[in-house]
Amino acid sequence: MTALELLFWVNRVLFVALFIAVGWRAFRQPTRANLNTALLFGGIGTVVLIGLVTDVTGFTAPWLTGLLVALLNVCPWAMLRLVDDFHGTPRWVQVAGMMTFIALAALGLLLFNEAPLLVELATIVWFLVVGGYAAVAFARTGRRSRGLTRGRMVAVAAGVYLFIAAIVVVFFAAFMPELGPVSGPLAQLLALAAVVAFFLGFAPPTWLRRAWREPDLRSFLERSVHLSGVEDDRALLLELQRAAADTLGVPGTALGLASADGTTMRYVQADGSFLEVPADTFVGGRAFIAQKQLIVTDAAASDPEHAEVYTNAHALVVIAVPVTAEQRRLGVLTVYGDRAPIFVEDDLWLVQLLADQTAVILEARRMAREASELRGREDATTLKEEFLSAAAHDLRTPLTVLLGQAELLERRLQKDPTAPVDPAGIARIVRESRRLRDLVSQLLDAQRLESVGPSADQQPIDVHTVIRSCLERYASAERPIEPAMGSEPILVRMDPVRLEQVVDNLLENAAKYARGGAATELRVWREEAEARITVADHGIGIPAEERTMVFERFFRASNAQARSDTGLGLGLYICRRLLEGHGGRIWIEETAGGGSTFHVALPAEPTSGEVYDAPAEPTGMAPTAEAGSDA
Amino acid sequence: MHDIRVLVVDDEPDIRATVAEMLQIEGYSVEEAANGADALVAIEQRQPDLILLDMRMPVLDGWGFAAEMSRRDMVIPIVVMTAARDAARWAAEIAATASLSKPFGFEDLIRTVREVRGAA
Repeated sequence: MTALELLFWVNRVLFVALFIAVGWRAFRQPTRANLNTALLFGGIGTVVLIGLVTDVTGFTAPWLTGLLVALLNVCPWAMLRLVDDFHGTPRWVQVAGMMTFIALAALGLLLFNEAPLLVELATIVWFLVVGGYAAVAFARTGRRSRGLTRGRMVAVAAGVYLFIAAIVVVFFAAFMPELGPVSGPLAQLLALAAVVAFFLGFAPPTWLRRAWREPDLRSFLERSVHLSGVEDDRALLLELQRAAADTLGVPGTALGLASADGTTMRYVQADGSFLEVPADTFVGGRAFIAQKQLIVTDAAASDPEHAEVYTNAHALVVIAVPVTAEQRRLGVLTVYGDRAPIFVEDDLWLVQLLADQTAVILEARRMAREASELRGREDATTLKEEFLSAAAHDLRTPLTVLLGQAELLERRLQKDPTAPVDPAGIARIVRESRRLRDLVSQLLDAQRLESVGPSADQQPIDVHTVIRSCLERYASAERPIEPAMGSEPILVRMDPVRLEQVVDNLLENAAKYARGGAATELRVWREEAEARITVADHGIGIPAEERTMVFERFFRASNAQARSDTGLGLGLYICRRLLEGHGGRIWIEETAGGGSTFHVALPAEPTSGEVYDAPAEPTGMAPTAEAGSDA
Repeated sequence: MHDIRVLVVDDEPDIRATVAEMLQIEGYSVEEAANGADALVAIEQRQPDLILLDMRMPVLDGWGFAAEMSRRDMVIPIVVMTAARDAARWAAEIAATASLSKPFGFEDLIRTVREVRGAA
């Protein structure tokens, strides 16, 4: 056997094998594209098989050649139908294609004996025109596609080019026998290249499928890695949809998230709003309920109730795949486009993979959320324990004094009932009792803040009234306060008891850390839409880096801890919570010359003065004046 | 029993005064110090027989004070008094003889002081 003969046989075997491969697939998945592919290679395969039989049996007849030519004419027609499947063609092209095929087949069967040249010429033109058209269409579809589809389309286009080239060579060889030594091997080589390209396009081996898919999958995975950290559902859905659309190379994807009980499905719409529908709505809903993949080739017809939605989205074909992690039904990934997927099984596989990956992301996110909630609960428990331990510690000191002093009184009384009462001891009892009372009320306040939040009673009150009440109770020779207030009322919506509590706390704080009897400066004013209060001391100050931390629970400035005073570290925390609960703010700046200035800002009610000052008829005068000037 | 000198070290003046009064009624002579550093000065001038020591204090705390004492090779029985839960553990840390958990009453205080004096 010569090399040429070997090549010839290899080609025959490969074409028949390809016919068997695509035929088997068309049998398993009888989609239009699969059937047309089988038709294309069925034509070629039958020609090859008949050639084989004649070679073996030595039987030959003119009518047989006519039949072969007629069968060969199937190929361009099948190609034309495939172009319609993959790329879309005008309807008249398909009609004209079928007519031409019938005409040429009849011509081949009936007239081959009379006019072989005419039939062969007609066939070759048919091949050249349709083949060229198909090859260009496949190449263009390939360029528009991505990943696996792109690879396969390019291979198919290359196969068509090579196949036509082989036909052309065979044709010329028939007319110019002197080309024989060259044309024979050339035609066989071209045919070999064509069949290999067709194999890659129509029945690619697994390793090649993987290689073609890999870049897109990688990019999807890379994009999705960070998504489990996305807090916002909307942002997550949009990003997943975008990533899936890019990976699949389709115009649209929709990811529906099922509610916890699985009865409703939530989609994010183009304008960013959520659309909540019963779980069985849309094609996606059907796939979700059935928990299986669905392909619908005419969405509007299959779901007439939502026909408009599909038409508006140019969604003719819909692939829906449930997003499910183990037994947990999370939602559904829907992919839609204006034409059937070229290689359905590949696309389905990829959509399923993306749906699985989406499930992984959603699960990771849910677990991260659960973990952080758990951490939050643990934190709250730890905080409560610390709180109780700090409270217990701080209550023990005044209790020690109370118990000791009371026992001393009792003992002295037992020794000598007429002895005068020790005023210093009584003073200590009173002082420490008060301290105990303050600690207890602070504790209760802090507890209340945690449980119910700030009081809902928010009647407008004048800040000045509250401040004056604080000053009456607070200012003394030991704790001098220099107030600076205006006379215009500044109204805020806050429970006066709460505001008093804030001011008391700040004054207490200022007095505690004051040095050498310097007065605390208290200022109240209105700044735009805010009531402002400052309490400035000339005390030890607070290190700049701790000026925000002092508003946290149990935090005491590092230089305060070194002083003899005690406190739960709750006062400023309570102030902050109260103010923030009323839309206010509190912060610390340094007092000029040392010390801390606490700033408070609270949203103020518009004053009656503002309403009164507004021009009564701001536009009433202008037209009159204009009319006057015109006249 | 007379002329047993007790040094009360605590940053809370009311605690100091109360403890001192209770001890004085029982006949002890008492000196006071507001922190570890003051206490070191006090024991340099006149060595007490017993020290009642608060642990958490500014300037020099109970641990610092105890470390400084042992560095100076001074051996004086110490009773730790603290409002924290770990009174006994802290006492062990600085090798104190006994501990008192705040709040403690008259009886607790006097009994502990007597026990420590008896052991010494």
